[in-house]
Amino acid sequence: MAGKVRTKQERSGEVIAYSEVAVRNNAAVVEYCRISMAALSGGTAGLLGLTGLYGFGFYIFAVIGLWAMLLMKAGGQWKKYFISRRSLLTNGFFGGLFTYVLFWTFLYGMVHVY
Amino acid sequence: MAWNYDKLSWSEVRDLFRTWREDSERKSKDVVDLWEAVLMDKVDHLGNEKYLILEQVCVAALDCYRLSLAEYCIKILMREFPGSLRVHKYHAMHLEALEMYDEALEVLDSIIKRDETNAAPRKRRVAILKAKGRITEAIKELAEYLKKFMSDQEAWHELCDLYLQEQEYSKAAFCMEELILHNPHSHLIYQRYAEIKYSQGGYENMEIAKVYFAQAVKLNPNNIRALYGLLLVTNNIALSAKCPTAKKKEAVKLSSWVANQIEKQYSAKASHDDVRGVEGLLGQLQLDA
Amino acid sequence: MAELLLDPNIRGWVFLPIVVITFLVGIIRHYVSILLASQKKVEVHQVQDSQVMIRSRLLRENGQYIPRPAFIMRRHFFNNEETGYFKTQKRAPVSQNPMSDPSMMTDMLKGNVTNVLPMVLIGGWINWMFSGFVTTKVPFPLTLRFKPMLQRGIELVTLDAAWVSSASWYFLNVFGLRSIYTLVLGENNAADTSRLLQDQVSGAAMSMPPDPKAAFKSEWEALQICEHNWVLNGIDSDLVGTQGRLDPIESIYHQSKTN
Repeated sequence: MAGKVRTKQERSGEVIAYSEVAVRNNAAVVEYCRISMAALSGGTAGLLGLTGLYGFGFYIFAVIGLWAMLLMKAGGQWKKYFISRRSLLTNGFFGGLFTYVLFWTFLYGMVHVY
Repeated sequence: MAWNYDKLSWSEVRDLFRTWREDSERKSKDVVDLWEAVLMDKVDHLGNEKYLILEQVCVAALDCYRLSLAEYCIKILMREFPGSLRVHKYHAMHLEALEMYDEALEVLDSIIKRDETNAAPRKRRVAILKAKGRITEAIKELAEYLKKFMSDQEAWHELCDLYLQEQEYSKAAFCMEELILHNPHSHLIYQRYAEIKYSQGGYENMEIAKVYFAQAVKLNPNNIRALYGLLLVTNNIALSAKCPTAKKKEAVKLSSWVANQIEKQYSAKASHDDVRGVEGLLGQLQLDA
Repeated sequence: MAELLLDPNIRGWVFLPIVVITFLVGIIRHYVSILLASQKKVEVHQVQDSQVMIRSRLLRENGQYIPRPAFIMRRHFFNNEETGYFKTQKRAPVSQNPMSDPSMMTDMLKGNVTNVLPMVLIGGWINWMFSGFVTTKVPFPLTLRFKPMLQRGIELVTLDAAWVSSASWYFLNVFGLRSIYTLVLGENNAADTSRLLQDQVSGAAMSMPPDPKAAFKSEWEALQICEHNWVLNGIDSDLVGTQGRLDPIESIYHQSKTN
């Protein structure tokens, strides 16, 4: 449905109307970035041979890095593109972790185990 | 827009067509011209998109009354998808363009019989009735259609238009209310609803029109038509005999505010001479109030 | 912890093939399910029902934007005791037994063919073909609890829990590659089995709750308690009050979905 609009009330009582389609599109793009980021950083961690907590630390570093880059890209008006900054950081954290671990294990196995 | 036909390569035209399709822009003249100038010879390069483009060209050709081109498209589509209801619909549209309405209706009926949930042929039936000028029948048919497909915004719009043609303002207003429900953030719909209410006349309707014009202005402060509407409505209310004095005062206040806004809009958009002319005109309106 | 030395041939002939096979099977499954997907035949009254539901939901959500009489009139149309739509439309409850409906059965069969069958077949085949290999080691320590999960097919008590057997590697791949399919095949692809379970709310609204009678009843209740307060009241004085500062004001307020 093209014209779907969703409203949300700010704490100050101000109302912002969101276009449902645009919100979904932005979420899809961010999701795409997140999966790519998880796969790439997983690959990097595997190649570097990170083990244990260092690997997970690297994942958290990558997630925060992506978040910072997205906000930088959005510039000062991130409010125009995303509903909440925090959900941008936390959404899909564990889904990405799965991909990350897979790639990490895969490349670690390929390079360091044998 | 005039396209430089020689400069565009076929892949550029394809991309252009694709964006038009996605944004559902018709651009019939452009589509037909570009098709003939560029794309026609390259049809085999298009792959499966060929059929989508043929559909697009077919509708465009019908818009431009290029019947032979439309027939050509339909023929190719028919050969490729002999049983497709979608192609049958284009066939019916072609018959419509030839003003062979009874045959077109027959085709449409056969489509509906085969797929009862197909909305498009039912709408075409209404279009045929409208083309024949039988508005009341078209209204009846469309109302029947809306009983089944209640959340079809396009159809509500069309029904509203038809009722307006018949000057059935209250029923048209009903249709607009339905559209407001579907689309509560569109200033154009509010503006239209207010216009209908204004046309209906009477003090209560004026009040409603005032509120909805105000809502349209609030959603889009640049909506000049709504601003003018608001001006007219407030003047009308101020003049009305039924109106209590307190409300009259309010209406006058609103009216002057709106006049102010309109002036502001003009001074922002037009050159100085024009503004003076408008100011003069508005001054006259003020006198009426 | 004793280090294990694995034969590099295992990497070339077990470890890598499992990844490739899982990935390609996912892709093939995507295309096969597209091939097998059948257009669901929808009855006209089903479409009507779903559209009625949409309309009544919109009335509840956005009803405050239309004048009160208009709202009451519409509610009357849906809810009136004698003539209301939700009261008069009697739909036969959809039979819950899928076996009685042959088209539903083929749908189920197709779902099984594209989802369950490859899982079982490929899983079984990999288990048989590559059984008993230790393929890799996860780069983080794990507790013994993970042993049965990661070392399926290898019953060695002394082996460290971080080592992964071939069968378990396959399952890790099945789950881990899910999001990669989103990347490769686009959203809502059929290779991703988890998405099939979620009810997709499509704009076409062709889907219908399984039992229209119950849906009508709940909608009737929701509409019955829905009150109308006209949010546009006093908007004209708001306009003048703000004097050109036309920021959105409180009158378009947020209404959360009531259902």
